[in-house]
Amino acid sequence: MKALIFLFSLVFSFIVQGEGLLLKGGNVHTADSEGILENTDIYIKDGKIIKIGKDLKVSASRVEDLNGKIVTPGFIAPYSQLGIVEIEAVAETRDDRSTVYSSGLSIVSAFNPHSTLIPYNLRGGITTALSVPSSSGLYSGLASSFSLSSSLEGSLISQDIALFGSVSSGEGSRAAKMLLLEDSLDVASRVIEADGWNDEKGLPSSSSYSSRDIIALKRVLSREIPLVVRADRASDILFLINFSIDKNIRLIVRGGSEAWMVAKQLAKTNTPVILEPINNLPGSFNQLGARLDNASMLNKAGVKILIASHETHNSYLSRQAAGIAVSYGLPWDVALRAITSNVAEVFGLKKIGMIKTGYKADLIIWDKDPLEVSAFAQQIYISGRLMSSESRSTRLRDRYLNSD
Amino acid sequence: MWKYFVIFLIFLFSSCSSEDPFNSDSEKNYQSTYSPDNSGDFVIIGARILTGTGEDYPSADVWVSNNRIKSIGVELNYPENIELIDATDKWLTPGIIDIHSHMGVYPSPSLRSSSDGNEATDPVTPHVWAEHSVWTQDTQMPLALKGGITTFHVLPGSANLFGGRGVTLKNVWSRTMQGMKFPNAPYTLKMACGENPKRVYGNLNREPSTRMGNVAGYRKAWIQAENYKEKRSPTRDLKLETLAGVLDGEILIQNHCYRGEEMAVMLDIAKEFKYKVTAFHHAVEAYKIADLLAENGVCAAMWADWWGFKHEAFDMVWENVAIVDQANNATGCAIVHSDSPIGIQRLNQEAEKARSAGVRAGFDIPRSRAIQWITRNPAKALGILDEVGTLEPGKMADIVIWNQDPFSVYAKTEKVFIDGLIHYDHEDPSTPKPTDFELGLLKPEGNRL
Repeated sequence: MKALIFLFSLVFSFIVQGEGLLLKGGNVHTADSEGILENTDIYIKDGKIIKIGKDLKVSASRVEDLNGKIVTPGFIAPYSQLGIVEIEAVAETRDDRSTVYSSGLSIVSAFNPHSTLIPYNLRGGITTALSVPSSSGLYSGLASSFSLSSSLEGSLISQDIALFGSVSSGEGSRAAKMLLLEDSLDVASRVIEADGWNDEKGLPSSSSYSSRDIIALKRVLSREIPLVVRADRASDILFLINFSIDKNIRLIVRGGSEAWMVAKQLAKTNTPVILEPINNLPGSFNQLGARLDNASMLNKAGVKILIASHETHNSYLSRQAAGIAVSYGLPWDVALRAITSNVAEVFGLKKIGMIKTGYKADLIIWDKDPLEVSAFAQQIYISGRLMSSESRSTRLRDRYLNSD
Repeated sequence: MWKYFVIFLIFLFSSCSSEDPFNSDSEKNYQSTYSPDNSGDFVIIGARILTGTGEDYPSADVWVSNNRIKSIGVELNYPENIELIDATDKWLTPGIIDIHSHMGVYPSPSLRSSSDGNEATDPVTPHVWAEHSVWTQDTQMPLALKGGITTFHVLPGSANLFGGRGVTLKNVWSRTMQGMKFPNAPYTLKMACGENPKRVYGNLNREPSTRMGNVAGYRKAWIQAENYKEKRSPTRDLKLETLAGVLDGEILIQNHCYRGEEMAVMLDIAKEFKYKVTAFHHAVEAYKIADLLAENGVCAAMWADWWGFKHEAFDMVWENVAIVDQANNATGCAIVHSDSPIGIQRLNQEAEKARSAGVRAGFDIPRSRAIQWITRNPAKALGILDEVGTLEPGKMADIVIWNQDPFSVYAKTEKVFIDGLIHYDHEDPSTPKPTDFELGLLKPEGNRL
């Protein structure tokens, strides 16, 4: 009977959604300059946050009493393969790699809103993700942002918003990669789209770039989109910083194991860093300076940081990573911003990532501090809609828990 | 001519006189040389203590004497002049034990030249020993120490049906592997089910290329081991020595296996050849057969949440560990393992993920029980529970002091004792002792960090 009532209330809440939802008395972590608003109400209508304040006098058709529970914006994964990888070792479930295109690879057409990773990571607190191709080579391709709503038609938020690449993987000389980075942008700058593109214009014959690839590079050159480069060694990062100044491009560093060594230069040039703070291993000779207080040191120097999980299937573990960064000195509110508003700001995702009037009502209600590994998302809203907390994983659990 | 005959006679005599050629004296040449300095006597006072035996003291003391725990409790009768370590408001647990590590055999930095964990040249390699691959200067070890790891079990990889012997090590800096080797810990044998062996050898167009090929491979090898054991062959065979050691109950089976149905088949094979599976490792689907595991007294070593990296890891549930633990009236043996140099640094957090999922599913799992997943139960499955895994009088003084509830993401270790000696102290920057590799690495005059 209880379940029936719950079901009815759920159905009812959808029917009257347009009338508005009032979340009463939450401990609201806004992830913007307002900080934490205690005992505060949030009024939501038409998928947006309409009003925030104490004891709001609004006639909402649905009222949720939060009793001081923590409310945060939905978390945003700054780096994932959500929707483009189902099982890593099963090649036919992977749409994150291409040998045909490099910088021009856009993964939008491959994104699968019905991937099992989506409701699973939503349950962990991620409401929005950047899905990023991960081809090896200098450029891996263009990232797009998606809502984890599992909606067939409504998942895409913004398309081809950043170009991702890497100068630190593989075996050939990094010098060649840096040169190819330079050459490819130089060529792109000379190519006028109307002219078309041929290989005669200055790239090594072993490299192959299609016109689609060159167009992506032109967007980087015009500062329309940022170039996100995986780099870990301090000298690589420094090279990229200087390169970005020379070429007048927007650089974001990803990985950044040794970023703390060049924190000043990163801060001075407003270069954000996407970190996996949990990854403190000197896993390669590029990462010998990896350390757990990297995030804290970068923040102290004034660098904007974004925090990512180290595994796509558990993209939501960015919050554990954020918690670890906090235990090594990163202020809690900065850690929250590193998985919400900073991601939105750095990638130009509009009106998400904060709890703010006019923003998309992607909200999570937590049973405790969300950076704790034991924290559980009790309610998850995307555009003001209460999302199901089920996933394939909970279905399996329930089958075997009740199998006596 | 006579000379050779005499030698032959001596050979015959010596091989016949040995009661058990399978556990031959030759293994004694590989014994541990680990020998800690005397820790003296001291008492850690006032800590909240999870003993690993199921006790949870709100505030109690641990008395350490000559590298061993002398006593533990609330009103210990220690002499007045004894050294005291104040741990008021801190938490104290047994040293954390990771039953599934590749530290030393897949070290950081990860380089082909020191990736020595998989002898992937034949599906049956019980003759290789992980300890012979261990690089003692692996940077992962001091990082794990900071995470409270005092003992870890190094396994060969899972490319093979029989991957080789595992070794249990104390997490102490040493020039030699023998200097880390856990004294008198039994040997283990790594077996692997499922995708990995059939992929590795299937790709080479060899058997096994299917799961049924895997099973045939295990059985063929056990039949050979049975014959070897019965005949007491005077000719040593390294492969069969190890397998016979399992049949004699001296070597413990650590079996990489994800799927429920495969684990059930492995239990049948163990019945056919009368050996015991000590623990299934990874066991992503252990929750599907938790009752079977409890009935057979088999432990499952699991992750809290890893999944999706291959098909056999697709059915992960957050409640896996809790369901195994609570099976058959909470008689299950659950272990949280890492298989990862990242995860090994915070098995406490992994245990809390699993515990909190279990609590949300309605199980009553206090911290005092969940701590056993990373202390007592792995010690049991490694055959070293009489020495470590719980805080009890007479055991090795492997102890971790935490700055707060170790089940929090914010918890950090403050002091890590191995045999009563401090190997990590958060107030002493010279600890943990850096590896040789890390000296002068970033700056000639400094260490790695």
